Amino acid sequence: MLTRDYARYTLAAVRAHRARSLLTVTGIAIGIAAVVLLTAIGEGIHRFVLAEFTQFGTNLIAITPGKTSTLGMSGAVISNVRPLSLDDARALRRVNQIQAVVPMVQGNAPVEGNSRSRRTMVLGVGADVPQVWQMRPAIGRFLPADATAGARAFAVLGSKLKSELFANASPLGARVRIGGEPYRVIGVMESKGQMLGFDLDDSVFIPVDRALAMFNRDSLMEIDLLYAAEADSEALAERVRALLERRHGGVDFTITTQDQMLEVAGSVLDVLTLAVAALGGISLAVGGIGILTIMTIAVRERRGEIGLLRALGAAKRQILVLFLGEAVALALLGGLAGLAVGAGGAWLIGVLVPALPTHTAWDFALAAEVSAALIGLAAGVLPAMQAAGLDPISALRDE
Amino acid sequence: MRLDDDLHFALRALTGHRARTWLTLLAMGLGTATVILLSALGEGARIYVSNEFTQLGTHLLIVLPGRNETTGGPPPLLGETPRDLTLDDAIALTRSRLVEQIAPIAVGSAPVSHGNREREVTILGSTAEFQPIRSIELAQGRFLPPGDLARGRPVAVLGETLAQELFANRTALGQWVRIGDRRFRVIGLLSSTGVSLGTDLGDLAIIPVASAQALFNSPALFRILVQARGRGALAPAEEAIREILRERHEGEDDVTIITQDAMLATFDKILNALTLAVSGIAAISLIVAGVLIMNVMLVAVSQRSAEIGLLKALGAARRQIIGLFLTEALLLASAGTVGGLLSAYAGVSLFNAQIDAFQLVVPLWAPLAAVSVSLATGLFFGLLPALRASRLDPVAALAGR
Repeated sequence: MLTRDYARYTLAAVRAHRARSLLTVTGIAIGIAAVVLLTAIGEGIHRFVLAEFTQFGTNLIAITPGKTSTLGMSGAVISNVRPLSLDDARALRRVNQIQAVVPMVQGNAPVEGNSRSRRTMVLGVGADVPQVWQMRPAIGRFLPADATAGARAFAVLGSKLKSELFANASPLGARVRIGGEPYRVIGVMESKGQMLGFDLDDSVFIPVDRALAMFNRDSLMEIDLLYAAEADSEALAERVRALLERRHGGVDFTITTQDQMLEVAGSVLDVLTLAVAALGGISLAVGGIGILTIMTIAVRERRGEIGLLRALGAAKRQILVLFLGEAVALALLGGLAGLAVGAGGAWLIGVLVPALPTHTAWDFALAAEVSAALIGLAAGVLPAMQAAGLDPISALRDE
Repeated sequence: MRLDDDLHFALRALTGHRARTWLTLLAMGLGTATVILLSALGEGARIYVSNEFTQLGTHLLIVLPGRNETTGGPPPLLGETPRDLTLDDAIALTRSRLVEQIAPIAVGSAPVSHGNREREVTILGSTAEFQPIRSIELAQGRFLPPGDLARGRPVAVLGETLAQELFANRTALGQWVRIGDRRFRVIGLLSSTGVSLGTDLGDLAIIPVASAQALFNSPALFRILVQARGRGALAPAEEAIREILRERHEGEDDVTIITQDAMLATFDKILNALTLAVSGIAAISLIVAGVLIMNVMLVAVSQRSAEIGLLKALGAARRQIIGLFLTEALLLASAGTVGGLLSAYAGVSLFNAQIDAFQLVVPLWAPLAAVSVSLATGLFFGLLPALRASRLDPVAALAGR
């Protein structure tokens, strides 16, 4: 028997019972569509989070005081005995291949201006924020370069804070009081939106040394470094570590490169996507049982036909292959239909609900296709063996 | 035709084709069982988390410095404020009748050393009341002694991991350790209650709050834990705390007060949503099983067309034929569901018998939802084959065409 004959026979069998084949295919298709759609949502969220992480630039190294324990932050960010100082930040600026440094301290204070008041996030930062965090002032300018020593009392408002305090009026040159101290507004940042729960638009940027004085502390909460694109992040992190170790006499800080951050976030999200795919896989398994049922029925109905084939000299193996082929064909058809529906649904969600990011994960889709074929194979084995094991004489007599 | 005739007929039809009936039941059962098991997992997680919260202490209010005026925004969990929450603020809170006890907390990190071993850990400055409020258990020794909050005694309570790292297997009680540039005597060891809501209680040292403030050279408190007098006093206590602190902070409302209930409600909402989503995904398999029921019923109708023809020739109405096949489909669906329910409950009790730390709990809505969804699928997917059967032309059907 030629391969072509096998294919023709199988397809004819599938076509002979249109309604039945259609329903079986539908069962598998629903399973596959669920897997494809769910992983598409998972992958979309994955990409969304990666984009959130990288919107502040990609070549970043963050240094926080204290050794971070396995669970989240260490207490050192709040207070510690060996602070991460502004001098450290200045020294880091001189490291080869470091292009910009942002020392950061964050707090909460009332901002009063234009006879209104709002309690909000205060970020004490250096002048390099536009470069390192990739956010630019919409109007005016950012803090001048004296932000780390003897800074003038300038403030830059986040876009939301600006509209809360000044509505549509231009705040440039206006006086505001932050934590009771007078500042002059020299710029307004463009809107950046939420970043993992932090609303950077509802904030005010002031020079870091003034913020340290306002909060009465001597340790920075974080230093962000921007390095040259061609630099090797590992080697650079090592140089930074060596420098700070010399200055502090020990490793009492944590260096996190953005690669590490992305890796951690990525692996967590991968596990999630996998779990969701497995949940969708349950439907696939139920679809597999559907194929098994229908194939069992088919073998029973076509006993006469099988008997005839055997009487004409078809080997047991050939019968086996015929029925296995039918099961796999059903599964594959279902897989293709499911892929179309799933990918189409993902696309539709992307168009209709832009807030929910989707991206068809083709590797998962391929895996789903392969597992559909495997399920078809597994479901077909029992009925096919049953068919192959029929005694030709008694099978023919049934006709 | 009476109802029991109906049932009898359907049962006979089902037992006539054992293999396919069993397989359909298996599909339906698998779908039901996963829905129940997954919802039990979600509900178990929800109950686990709420137990964790009760462990945190009851009637608890948490006062943190700073306040964000963003609607729906997160409170400033971390960060500095121009006006610190001080020890005097904390002491002032005890003046309210509604406050049972308070535990001010100062947090930082510093190296702890003994001999030539050193380890950088989180240092928690607090008071004797911290122990009952957070229900902390000690393995050895005693907790911080009660007394004047403003006096910093040189005593420390170490977490288990920290003690193990510094002292290995030697006894730690009564020994001196150096924290930062000060010396402290170890008076107690925490028992290994493990991780409590993100704080690793094994790897920290607890010292009196005044000592911590001196160590970190900062008068600021990180949090004040307040235990209210009874559950009913929570809301008035929150109001009283706000009032006291506003007075002390020159009329400014610059603290955030979080109640335990609010936190718990947030977690509850998240976990409920997750459970529903996961069960919903699993319920897709019920639909697939429904498609299978439809398929099997269609096959049955075409195989039994002669029988249907005979029934019709004997005067059976269309409604009766529909009833017969619908009964069969519903029987398949409900038997599968019952099987799935039984095996799911068996799986849950097996799991709970094996594992003590985490218990699966089947929420009440899960079996109800599973049963109604599978009956609905049985009805829905059984309707088309039943209609097809009822429309058969008796003469043609009898002729077997």
